[in-house]
Amino acid sequence: MALFKKIMTWARVKSPWIIHFNTGACNACDIEILASLTPRYDLERFGILLKGTPRHADVLVCSGPVTLQTKDRLIRIYEQMAEPKFVVAVGTCACSGGAFQGCYCVRGGIDSVIPVSAYIPGCPVRPEAIIDGVVKLLGSLKS
Amino acid sequence: MAKVVVPIGPQHPALKEPASFTLFLEGERVAAANVALGYNHRGVEKACEQRTYIQDIYLIERVCGICSHSHSTAFIQAVEEIAALEIHKRAAYIRSVIGELERIHSHLLWLGVAGHELGFDTLFMYSWRDREIVMDLLAMLTGNRVNYGINTIGGVRRDIVKEQADETLKAVDVLEERTKYYIKVATEESTLIARLANVGKLSKEDVVRFGATGPTARAAGIGKDIRHDDPYAAYTDVTFNVITDDHADVLGRTIVRVKELMESYSIIRQLLKKMPDGPISVKAPRKIPEGEAVSRYEAPRGEDFHYVRGNGSEKPERVKVRAPTLANLAAISHMIEGGYLADVPIVIAAIDPCFSCTDRMLSINGLDKGMESLMDWESLRNYSIEWYKTNRGIDMNKINALR
Amino acid sequence: MQIMERTEIILNDLCKAFSFLEGHANIQRQRRIFAEIPDEKRASIKEILRYLRDNMKFTFLCTITGLDIGDNFQVIYHLADDGGILINLKILTPRSKPVIESVTSVFEGAVFYERELKDLLGIEVNGLPPGRRYPLPDGWPEGQYPLRKDWHQAEEEGAEKKS
Repeated sequence: MALFKKIMTWARVKSPWIIHFNTGACNACDIEILASLTPRYDLERFGILLKGTPRHADVLVCSGPVTLQTKDRLIRIYEQMAEPKFVVAVGTCACSGGAFQGCYCVRGGIDSVIPVSAYIPGCPVRPEAIIDGVVKLLGSLKS
Repeated sequence: MAKVVVPIGPQHPALKEPASFTLFLEGERVAAANVALGYNHRGVEKACEQRTYIQDIYLIERVCGICSHSHSTAFIQAVEEIAALEIHKRAAYIRSVIGELERIHSHLLWLGVAGHELGFDTLFMYSWRDREIVMDLLAMLTGNRVNYGINTIGGVRRDIVKEQADETLKAVDVLEERTKYYIKVATEESTLIARLANVGKLSKEDVVRFGATGPTARAAGIGKDIRHDDPYAAYTDVTFNVITDDHADVLGRTIVRVKELMESYSIIRQLLKKMPDGPISVKAPRKIPEGEAVSRYEAPRGEDFHYVRGNGSEKPERVKVRAPTLANLAAISHMIEGGYLADVPIVIAAIDPCFSCTDRMLSINGLDKGMESLMDWESLRNYSIEWYKTNRGIDMNKINALR
Repeated sequence: MQIMERTEIILNDLCKAFSFLEGHANIQRQRRIFAEIPDEKRASIKEILRYLRDNMKFTFLCTITGLDIGDNFQVIYHLADDGGILINLKILTPRSKPVIESVTSVFEGAVFYERELKDLLGIEVNGLPPGRRYPLPDGWPEGQYPLRKDWHQAEEEGAEKKS
């Protein structure tokens, strides 16, 4: 069982599949996430692949404060992911609600709804910081 | 009519998702389309009443992460008008330089997104690579890639020094050269033209009927541009062309945007060359008197409209924000109806909508087949790319390999 | 022609066409006209909009702003012409029973703006085309109108308070 776990960890660390979900963001962080996939920053060199469905994803990358409208969908996506799964909150809004704290349609940061593994603050987060955060998460997966 | 819910995408089979777009199909054509949005509603206008004007600048910037300066400037102009505050010309020039840089990054972003929707990923990579030049400039001038925080009541918070102006001019030269390629692609690349021509048609009459604005309106030959019609900031001091096109379709909207880039380069050069000396801000009161003002701004997507009412305190009585996408939304159903399902992604993308990709859930109803299914954006995009390959022989991979 | 001159001409034309606006319309600055439609003439808003659209080239409805001003709600229709002139028409509707007529038959784009008035201020709009609510989420509780001055966050969480 220990060998199997080691192989799975290796596979996950070598090529984590990511699903990206915007829970009500202004789009700035989403664009920086996309930008980090373009050649200049090239997140893909870490073997990271952007997937469309939660069923095959290891990492859920979330941007935006959780709005009342997206809360349920966020929970559903999280529940559809197979264990072990990790959640990355990208941007100050995802970390805490950011500038929208206290707005009547905003619940709060991602962790007000689902558990978060890594927080990457920024408004928006620079692509370098996204890469840094994701690499740190991968590093912690190894152990 | 028996309805079967066939969910495609990240949602639980038993629960029905509220769809952003509901399409009713007859065969492969869209017979009727309903648009319903609201995922991004956070409650900004109410929050504005509970915060001070200065705090509101930072909140309003974040209404949209692509045209944040548009919102910030539109808001602050209204506030300054209520307070009868006249800013120095230098501040107006700086606001305009940032505004044009924002337009450039936004149009390049759009070009990449449009390319991606079509399967023309090479265009996505090129335009976003070029866009990084603009992001670097914005970071140099304002300290951030987005949400620049450059505005304050009475002017701007940072000056543009000579070295920065020189950097900017050099970068604009590079961008102008690269943009010539995009104009060539939009006007001469037959595969792309075949894909975009006659798609998402919106006639001149319909632009007026539905109240469309920005490149969507200009692509139908209507020369509406707030920088020209109701000038603000430094636009009375520069000369530029209002770019229009007569295709009145997605191809037209593409051509308008790439040609507008050239105008923006010219405007920035004029602004930096003529920038007057002077203070970058004037002293502003914390309490804004009773009064009201309307402010209009030509954002990359079209007219951004702000209404502000002051009540003599540090906090506004009312702030109303009408982003350009909302004005263009009324026309969307009309543009999609009568067209192919395969055209939906690019038609929606062509108004350059300001809502996130994952919000765009579509409910597809086959009127003749009695079937209803839920589709996510990615699936529809893939369907669209395949459809055009199979039915029209338009294969984006042919041009993905070019250059 | 100077812009101020044009603005003045438009104001004059507006008051000539609708004499009850005389004394209730003013120029705030060049390109900005504000007019308050007297209460008893409130129902004429659609007629004024149609006239402005068809006879004075005010073909663009920028948006409709709703405000809570206490005993009344104020609704402002912002119209623009190609020359960048803006006419802002204000009507009042009582808080005790806020109702207005839809203007979608004159400006189709008004539909989203009117839905906002309904959702956020609780103003009834007669003749509003059917469709999903905007912008509040589907589960939003009945009778809770966030833009009203007496609406506070706590109410949304279920506390029983007068709206």
